[in-house]
Amino acid sequence: MRARLALPLLLVILVAAILASLAFGELRLSVSQVVGALTGHGGDELARTVVRDFRLPRTLVGVAAGAALAASGVVMQAFFRNPLADPGLLGVSSGGALGAVAVLALGPALGLAAASIWTLPLASIVGAFIATGAVMMLAQRGAGTERLLLSGIALNALLGAGTSFLLTITAGHFEVNAQILFWLMGGLENRSWEHVWMGLPIILLGCALLLPLGRGLNLLSLGEQSAQSLGVDVRRLRRRLIVLATILTALATAIGGIIGFVGLLVPHVLRLAFGPDHRRLLPFSMLGGAAFLLICDLVTRLFPIGLRLGVVTAVVGGPFFLWLLRRPR
Amino acid sequence: MTSALQASALTVPGRLEDVDLDLGPGELVAVVGPNGAGKSTLFQALAGLLPTDGQILWNGQPLSSISFQERGRRLAWVGQEAIFDFAFSVRDVVAQGRYAWNDDPSGVTEALAAMDLLTLADRPVTRLSGGERHRVILARALATTAPLQLWDEPVAQLDVRHALEVHRLARHLAEAGGTVLVSLHDIRAAYRFDRVLVLDRSRLVGNGKPHEVLTADLIRTVFRVEATFVTSLVPELPAT
Repeated sequence: MRARLALPLLLVILVAAILASLAFGELRLSVSQVVGALTGHGGDELARTVVRDFRLPRTLVGVAAGAALAASGVVMQAFFRNPLADPGLLGVSSGGALGAVAVLALGPALGLAAASIWTLPLASIVGAFIATGAVMMLAQRGAGTERLLLSGIALNALLGAGTSFLLTITAGHFEVNAQILFWLMGGLENRSWEHVWMGLPIILLGCALLLPLGRGLNLLSLGEQSAQSLGVDVRRLRRRLIVLATILTALATAIGGIIGFVGLLVPHVLRLAFGPDHRRLLPFSMLGGAAFLLICDLVTRLFPIGLRLGVVTAVVGGPFFLWLLRRPR
Repeated sequence: MTSALQASALTVPGRLEDVDLDLGPGELVAVVGPNGAGKSTLFQALAGLLPTDGQILWNGQPLSSISFQERGRRLAWVGQEAIFDFAFSVRDVVAQGRYAWNDDPSGVTEALAAMDLLTLADRPVTRLSGGERHRVILARALATTAPLQLWDEPVAQLDVRHALEVHRLARHLAEAGGTVLVSLHDIRAAYRFDRVLVLDRSRLVGNGKPHEVLTADLIRTVFRVEATFVTSLVPELPAT
């Protein structure tokens, strides 16, 4: 079976992407230098500082955000029974970003430590949940592609307007403004260990809690009533899925900004290659999403012409999405 | 006599009113009625898929006290819609009937064979015709080995051969002690069932042996057609 090869294949790709992410940049390091810097055996001081203080947190944030976005894409597609559902297109990422931006813009005035380890992800989670709630009201399960995407467009426009407003009223504060722009374009620059701790532990926990739900997700993806008649506690499963997917999206957004199309592209490619069984698709997508995001981040570093991570994923994902739309279902 | 499936004062606001039922094991039951009479609602309510007023008992046990897993083992429901958004293989979908049995695969191949799906087993369900997709969800219901089987218009989209096979299977399951409910539009087929339930405008208006319930009067008032009873369906041959 092809699916049996998938896990080792994806692991190899991910490990290679992690090593490349640690090795490439303004200072090019060899694999042995990277390993030396990580283990503390040998290697020079500079390499150790670059790897441990800069590239490792950046890489871990990329792994966490990529896995989270791809996993929540898988969940949303099955949940809405629509292969075009995606946390970005549905507006959940925008909700998380608006939450984060609100803290950045208004935090100083309210006396909050703007980018503290707690306030930023929490605000992001609150924003994402508001967006998720709105999508669920606007487009019921099994809703057609048109309705789902139109709801996403409306929500993205609305949340985007909120973000623009915050951007305008902070126009006088250059630093705040730059931070907000960072969120809107998504990227892994200047990620510190604080960002790692902000996202990685809960994202790992969320992924671990999602994995056993793959069996039920298979049944749910073919219909809510039939799933319940076959023995699934649909209400409980749906609640868990939407809570986990929203938190994963929110945290990915809190640590990396809006990064589109990962949740759409990665599950789709893996579904085409290895089939729709969610017991496999969930772990495959987590690994694949992490690797994909690292590779896109590498592109921004290898071609330092001002590319942003969100721009690269959009350049890859946008045409793919259009191809999916044209493809007969 | 023990009851397999009971309902008292079963009501789904606006869709089903005050239905009382008591079906035994081994009964093959036809459910008929005009469009919108409440047949699908009755099936969904009995299967525990809708919030309802009134009481439902499976084997004398209140439905609300039965766990979801146990429900999956005891009742199989086949809905009218067989829409698949993801390209699972036919075998994978039929194997979902074993969810409540912790994916123990026994009976899956037999269920595929019973619905004439062995040659299609590896095909993605997204590449099947409407009739084939209905055979898949019927096979999934068979794979549950549940004694209560509720099939909502299972033969509406099937060709003659497979429709006859579904009727034969329903009879077979009832003879093995199951309780099988089948909703139908072809009321002529209902005469071959043990019992017929007639729904009209959200109410149960007939419940009993087919020949006693499906009279010309009832057919006229419920379906608004004139029924002609014939002893043979083959017309007299023209004189040569």
